Amino acid sequence: MLFNSIQFVFFFILVTTLYFVIAHKYRWFLLLAASCYFYMAFVPVYILILGFTIVIDYFAGIFIEQSKGKKRKMFLVASLIANIGVLAVFKYYNFINDNLTAILHGAGYQNPIPYLSILLPIGLSFHTFQAMSYTIEVYRGHQPAERNFGIYSLYVMFYPQLVAGPIERPQNLLHQFYEKHYFDYDNAREGLKMMLWGFFKKLVVADRLAIYVNVVYNNAEDHSGMSLALATVFFAIQIYCDFSGYSEIAIGAARVMGFKLMTNFNRPYFARDIAEFWKRWHISLSTWFKDYLYISLGGNRVGIPRWYFNLFIVFLISGLWHGANWTFIVWGALNGAYLVLAIVFKNFNRKLNKISGLDKLPRLKTIVQVAVTFILICFTWIFFRAASIGEAWMIIKKIATLKGPLYYENISTLLYCFMAAGFLFAAEYKVQYMKGSFSLFNNRNWLVRNLAYAVVLILILLLGVFDGGQFIYFQF
Amino acid sequence: MLQKIASQIQKNKYAYFFSRLLALLLIVIVLDAACGGILRYFYFRQSSGWNYRTTYALEQTTDSLLIFGSSRAVQQYHPEVFENKLELSYYNCGRDGNFNLYNYAMLQAVLKRHTPKIIVLDFMKAQFKENPAEYDRLSILLPYYKHHPEIREIIHMRGPFERYKLLSASYPFNSTLFSTLTGNMAFNEKRNPHIKGYVIFDNTWDKPVKTITAPPPAYTIDSTFLRLYESFIQDCQKAGVQLYIVCSPYYELSPFTDYSIEKGKSIARQYNVDFFDYSKDSILISQQALFSDSMHLNDEGAKVFSARVAEDILRRSRR
Repeated sequence: MLFNSIQFVFFFILVTTLYFVIAHKYRWFLLLAASCYFYMAFVPVYILILGFTIVIDYFAGIFIEQSKGKKRKMFLVASLIANIGVLAVFKYYNFINDNLTAILHGAGYQNPIPYLSILLPIGLSFHTFQAMSYTIEVYRGHQPAERNFGIYSLYVMFYPQLVAGPIERPQNLLHQFYEKHYFDYDNAREGLKMMLWGFFKKLVVADRLAIYVNVVYNNAEDHSGMSLALATVFFAIQIYCDFSGYSEIAIGAARVMGFKLMTNFNRPYFARDIAEFWKRWHISLSTWFKDYLYISLGGNRVGIPRWYFNLFIVFLISGLWHGANWTFIVWGALNGAYLVLAIVFKNFNRKLNKISGLDKLPRLKTIVQVAVTFILICFTWIFFRAASIGEAWMIIKKIATLKGPLYYENISTLLYCFMAAGFLFAAEYKVQYMKGSFSLFNNRNWLVRNLAYAVVLILILLLGVFDGGQFIYFQF
Repeated sequence: MLQKIASQIQKNKYAYFFSRLLALLLIVIVLDAACGGILRYFYFRQSSGWNYRTTYALEQTTDSLLIFGSSRAVQQYHPEVFENKLELSYYNCGRDGNFNLYNYAMLQAVLKRHTPKIIVLDFMKAQFKENPAEYDRLSILLPYYKHHPEIREIIHMRGPFERYKLLSASYPFNSTLFSTLTGNMAFNEKRNPHIKGYVIFDNTWDKPVKTITAPPPAYTIDSTFLRLYESFIQDCQKAGVQLYIVCSPYYELSPFTDYSIEKGKSIARQYNVDFFDYSKDSILISQQALFSDSMHLNDEGAKVFSARVAEDILRRSRR
């Protein structure tokens, strides 16, 4: 079930109402049943895969807690292998086979391994990572193993964040299923407000920009450098609004019921360097990699070359997490390289700021830093959006020349895109740089506040794209 | 008394929340009605552009010869040629990128208030091919939903919740802000000139004729499109309108037949309706200068083609 569908609106109202109507002891069951229904609305049979990992991790958690020494580690490894195995089969099998075929073909051999004709289960990487965080935390002793199978299933399947995160940690989420949530006006208001803004981002901004991005990128060869450059900037905004819009709807839907999910985005395009960008973008995944991979590799408490390697490898794997394609691996590698280079050139950068006089002009310095970071990130999005490395390279070469006319079938398509991006920029700028100033959405005057909500709703009705389809991150 | 009720509502968290929600809903309804009303006013005041032409075709045209179809209808049927040859007044009701659903809705709206003498329906290759975008594009008819009950059945095909979305006064004008704005401006008439719904394309196609060597891939048929095509014929006959179905030329050489064209012909035959197939007309295809692209004739081509169609219509009507 898509968040941007009328079915979801009815589903949300029904589940939330029932949640507060029924007794606390039955609530987990209601949420679990609702989550199963929510997931099965996509491809029903894939719930079996989810069921398989849930059973494995549930018992793994208990066994890890009850064991000591090597046995404890063995159960963790078994659980991780099962989870990564599911990911490998459904997400990476054909990709690996593809590359094997290419290598063998180059050597004059045929690949005897058959391809699998399978669809990638929706949100597989999200719930697999959430499940893995549970067994790791139990192993580390930060989380007691969950004895209630239903509650553990709900931890993996909680419908607001099931298919596209935020990727929760057991310490933050599990105990909330035991807590009795009373209906709270502030929670309901905040949750609904977040959902409204999430819908705005998805329907008005992301799906609107997607119209231009899809036309240009789906036929990149026929488009000019100018059009491709604009489509790349639009894609940067589209993917941000698509994903953060989803996260806000998810966090908001949970908040109405009294659950507090972790923040996933924090206005990433106002970041002043790449490291800051990754502290603001897909925070639940970035912190997952930091907590479970980067630190396990030694983090920055190692020699400098090893530190660089740790940073780079984490981003390389993060790229692979996004999709089974070399484009995603290059995307991850680029981000890793940016971070390493930022550390290498830290002193040079400081000197440059001093010599150029930017240090004396803090506002200008911020503008330059934000702009440079945005351009660097846009460059990586080319690989993320292109169908292949070859296509990405062709796009980069075209953009480098910036030749040719700007494509638009209808000028209003572009105008709507700029209008949507403008609304977003104004709203985010206000929150980022004008915190204490006049606020429409948090205004103390009830009428002003509600008028602002109503205007957003009307803008969705007037400018929203209602045939836009699913969220980009579902495929991961 | 009021203060007492207010304080009791404040004490009950559910009542407090729902009272606030209700108040917000009221604000939304008022704002929605105001925005919708303003947009409706300006939408129907347009004097140029696609929306104006659709409104005119739907609500005002009383011409004797009407052309239906997509962009191939809009830019290939020359009004002067038809008016001179057939001595009938002409209007082109076609619209870019719109096919079966739009044609049928337009026919319903026209026949409700006016009976033309002749209707020419432009038919395309793969006309019956499954195409979800065709349902999405029905959005251009949403502004007419309120005052045209005859087209509602078609609009409901956009989705099971469409009728509920249309309770909003603003939603029908989704994504029409800029087109409404330009449609109300004089410069748009110069920028998008048309002659009675016919749009002039005067460029010449510079690529050589395409030779199709492989059979086109099979496609899935949308049974609704087939049903509406048949209903289009039936409704014209019921209203006493002489219907001609025309498949205009493609700038390509192909030995293959298209399933939709063959099916369209067979249904037309069933109802004794003329189906003129120029899709492979060698005289037209041999003249590159008549084409604006591989699927559309230019202004010169439209004149030549329209003369052929008008003569065929005359010849058939004399029989």
